[in-house]
Amino acid sequence: MFTTKIHTVRLRLILLLLSLLIVACGTAATTPESESGAANDTPSGDPISFAVFGDQAELSAFEAVVAAFEAEYPEIDIEIQHTASQSDYRQRLATSFSAGSPPDIFLLNYRRFGQFVSQDVLEPLGPYLDQSDLIAADDFLPPTLDSFMMNGQLWCIPQNLSSLVIYYNKDLFDAAGVPYPSNDWTWEQFLETAKALTLDTDGDGSTDQYGVGIEASIFRLAPFVWQAGGEIVDDPANPTRLTLDTPEAQRAFKFYVALQTEHHVVPDRVAEQAEESEARFLNGTLAMYFNSRRGVPTYRTIESFAWDVAPLPQDVEKAGILHSDGYCLSSKAANKEGAWRFIEFANSVEGQTIVAASGRTVPSLRRVAESDAFLDPTLPPANSRIFIEDTESIRRVPIMETWVGIEETAGKEIEEAFYGTISTEEAAQRAQDLTQGYFDEVNGE
Amino acid sequence: MPRFNVSPYASLWAGGFAFRARCVTIYPRHATNSDSPHPVIRLSQRIQPWLFLAPYLIGTFVLIVLPALVTSVIAFTDYNALSTPTFTGLDNFRQMWESPIVRASLRNTLVFVMVAVPLRMLGALLLALLLQRKRRLFGLYRAMVYIPTIIPETAFGLLGLWIFNPVFGPLNQLLALVGLPQPAWLTTAAGAQTAIILLLTLQLGEGFIVLLAGLQMIPRAVYEAAAVDGASEWQSFWQITLPLLTPWMLLLLFRDLLMSVQMTFAPSFVMTYGGPYYATTYVPLLIYELAFDLFELGIAAALLLLFYLMIGLMIVIVVRVVGVERSYGS
Amino acid sequence: MTSHHLVALLVALFFVLPLFWAFVASLRPAGFAPAQSVQWWPDVAHWDNYLEVFSQVPFARYLRNSLFVTAVAVPITMLTASLGALGLTQVGDGARRWLLRISIGLLIVPATAVWVFRFRILGALGLVDTPWALIVPSIGASSPLFVLLYYWAFTHIPQELFDAARLDGASLWALWRRVAMPLVTPTTAAVALLAFVFYWNDFVSPLLYVFKPQYYTAPIGLQVLKQIDPTNYPIWIAGAVLMTLPVILIFLFLQRYFLSDLSPATLFERN
Repeated sequence: MFTTKIHTVRLRLILLLLSLLIVACGTAATTPESESGAANDTPSGDPISFAVFGDQAELSAFEAVVAAFEAEYPEIDIEIQHTASQSDYRQRLATSFSAGSPPDIFLLNYRRFGQFVSQDVLEPLGPYLDQSDLIAADDFLPPTLDSFMMNGQLWCIPQNLSSLVIYYNKDLFDAAGVPYPSNDWTWEQFLETAKALTLDTDGDGSTDQYGVGIEASIFRLAPFVWQAGGEIVDDPANPTRLTLDTPEAQRAFKFYVALQTEHHVVPDRVAEQAEESEARFLNGTLAMYFNSRRGVPTYRTIESFAWDVAPLPQDVEKAGILHSDGYCLSSKAANKEGAWRFIEFANSVEGQTIVAASGRTVPSLRRVAESDAFLDPTLPPANSRIFIEDTESIRRVPIMETWVGIEETAGKEIEEAFYGTISTEEAAQRAQDLTQGYFDEVNGE
Repeated sequence: MPRFNVSPYASLWAGGFAFRARCVTIYPRHATNSDSPHPVIRLSQRIQPWLFLAPYLIGTFVLIVLPALVTSVIAFTDYNALSTPTFTGLDNFRQMWESPIVRASLRNTLVFVMVAVPLRMLGALLLALLLQRKRRLFGLYRAMVYIPTIIPETAFGLLGLWIFNPVFGPLNQLLALVGLPQPAWLTTAAGAQTAIILLLTLQLGEGFIVLLAGLQMIPRAVYEAAAVDGASEWQSFWQITLPLLTPWMLLLLFRDLLMSVQMTFAPSFVMTYGGPYYATTYVPLLIYELAFDLFELGIAAALLLLFYLMIGLMIVIVVRVVGVERSYGS
Repeated sequence: MTSHHLVALLVALFFVLPLFWAFVASLRPAGFAPAQSVQWWPDVAHWDNYLEVFSQVPFARYLRNSLFVTAVAVPITMLTASLGALGLTQVGDGARRWLLRISIGLLIVPATAVWVFRFRILGALGLVDTPWALIVPSIGASSPLFVLLYYWAFTHIPQELFDAARLDGASLWALWRRVAMPLVTPTTAAVALLAFVFYWNDFVSPLLYVFKPQYYTAPIGLQVLKQIDPTNYPIWIAGAVLMTLPVILIFLFLQRYFLSDLSPATLFERN
């Protein structure tokens, strides 16, 4: 009996393994096909790797750029390395850098490229741009190239720029009889609008429709501080500490926090955990959502309501905040010439037009930004022009090696204040204490 | 780790499997027999075992030992993934000591270990006692209890996010149905810590199986003898079951202490990302953030090393307090 | 039904409740705010959520890749682990004692400690960005745990059987094939299950060592799915359920040997 049991067990195991192997052989057999399908031209040398992050729409846009490039330069083979989430993307970059085999070309946000510059792993791109026949510094909208300058050098070629804007649900405005935001509205008008759009529709005592959705982070708070005439750091060119404790900054900080703690036009922590603000906006239960251009491809799939974009409200000053990603070139790239050809192409009118069609980015090239590829009148948002108007009022966070740590550490304190756990003064003080090490690290060297 | 070499630990491991034996007799008999039945051992026979071991030894050395050694060295350098590491001695440890966030993560992890490890062990024990019977359907129940343990970590974290949703989550809806208060779970420090502990307590299948095995190895005759002496069920539990299970429980304790290094990573990464306000910033998550967000690989390695020393210390304390020799001696 | 049985039933149900809830959530209408009352079954079961998983991302390919990795890595693991363990029983006392200590010691090395530098080694071997980067740990038996499990099982085989085979002049290989392996089938079942879980659930290795989307495995696919539409609970929960299903099936298939023979197989599983 014992042996028969063993027998059946063995038989089952063998069957299991066989079935697994059959499936696996299926995979193995199909893989070469897809590979040979991709390599129909004859590129010479190793492929140039190009690391990108983003959703499927962005990936498709990059794939289209690569396809167009390879059609024009059949001798160069570009290989996309795609990662969906930004945090996973960073993990991959860190691993591949420390292992000494980074991707040749990779996208970096201007808030993060400082980390790389200080370690000498990027190839400065200024000289390449100067010699280019295809693109010139003057073609780019003003704030973009500046944001990738460090130590007097240009390090990456910005592919896009975006200010922070407010996406709003026109149907909810209509239903509440509230006028749409104007392009020069004020904090007070914004707050009144938000209050009018925060509703308890079923009368059960809890809010069902929120006026505003905004993240709790220094990146969202900063434009308010600038609008109030304050600064987030003492000297934007050579920062030595955070300055969220100044009267101007505190006035902005309090206005921003009061949206949640006092006026309750923003979901509180529990409501946010239950359903994120962006989901509420998509589901039509949140009227105004703060985001950069990146939301557009998703919002374009909305069928249940009409929407548009409005600029940030203003106070004593008009200020927006820059979002920008650049193409960076590894100093270890084997074929720098070929890699530059691709960066150049991707940021030429032709390349940026392809990406602009995805809706995801605001092109950094003036000509493309002002073309129909971006301002497409047939697609929302109708008010797309606000992304590129007033580029002088777009400001940016300081460019420094340790900015990421500062932003994350301060963000946790801001979040506590935003959800009413601590006061804005306390948050400013704690943020300053906890981030001072990051400032000193840079200035000490 | 002074005063704690691997040997008692090795015997613990084996002791759990065959606790009737004394701790040194874990090796197969034929190996300890000096009078081998084969007087002539040919060379090939001596080499053959090493050939069999070769893939394991080489693979393990290349993929585990080597990278782990490099990491330990990196702990004493300033290394940020992009540059060449420079030796800085104990500077990383000094920086860690000064960081309130590192201290918070150590505190959180310690609290987690103190609550979750006993809870998981107690849960495993109660479940093993409850489900040990050889009755119809009990095999199915045992399988059901094991299921959460094999759910892929990432998927399990996502499910947790849904289950602990403060408004729409099925857990709070169930609590509302039976008239219990509904905590805001992931939005409060205590709630988030509790949620992660609860979720990881569901994954106690391994301990459950080990204790089931332990229970099975207790000879029926011992209970029968006790029953003849008029011992109540409660008495025989305290006087027979528990003492005989102790080696297994110890084995579990060590295992859980060690595994707690990694256990919290997936849920804290997927569900809370360390929040609210560092409440669920456990050491593994902080190591991840240091290494892959801030590119501070040197400090991350130092934290890893420090954490291991702490866990090692805990094990030494347990060994001293409980007295391994007593448990496995005879 | 006795009260003991009833308690056992309730406890067992409690443990599968999360999975059941996940399943119910995956059948909710996509894109709408969830219901605010207890729902044991959705009013209308949206099975099309599962189709949506496959249309939003190439999930079928991810699952196939995962199957490929497990189908190659699991048998290799069983082979290298059992051979290594048999070798371990046959080497000299001193060597064995040391190898056992080292193997146990290595169980506590966390994955975190090897992430970064394993990349460098895999790169040197030319395996980065191929599925083999995910499979190669199986050559080292995937985890010392598996070797230890086999080793423990082998030490429980009556010595007479080995001796008899040896007297017949059997090689170690024949010993492995004819005596050792047939007698440790429950351990093989346990190792098969654990190794399957090890490779199927692995999220970090494919994230770090594989860049080509055509080689992505299911855990990465789940992450991509969540990224595409982070606010759409039902779809990515459907993805999570899909990914869990094969593990549960294999477990139900093997659990008889796994739970009934009660080898303490699962200790230190998540190394």
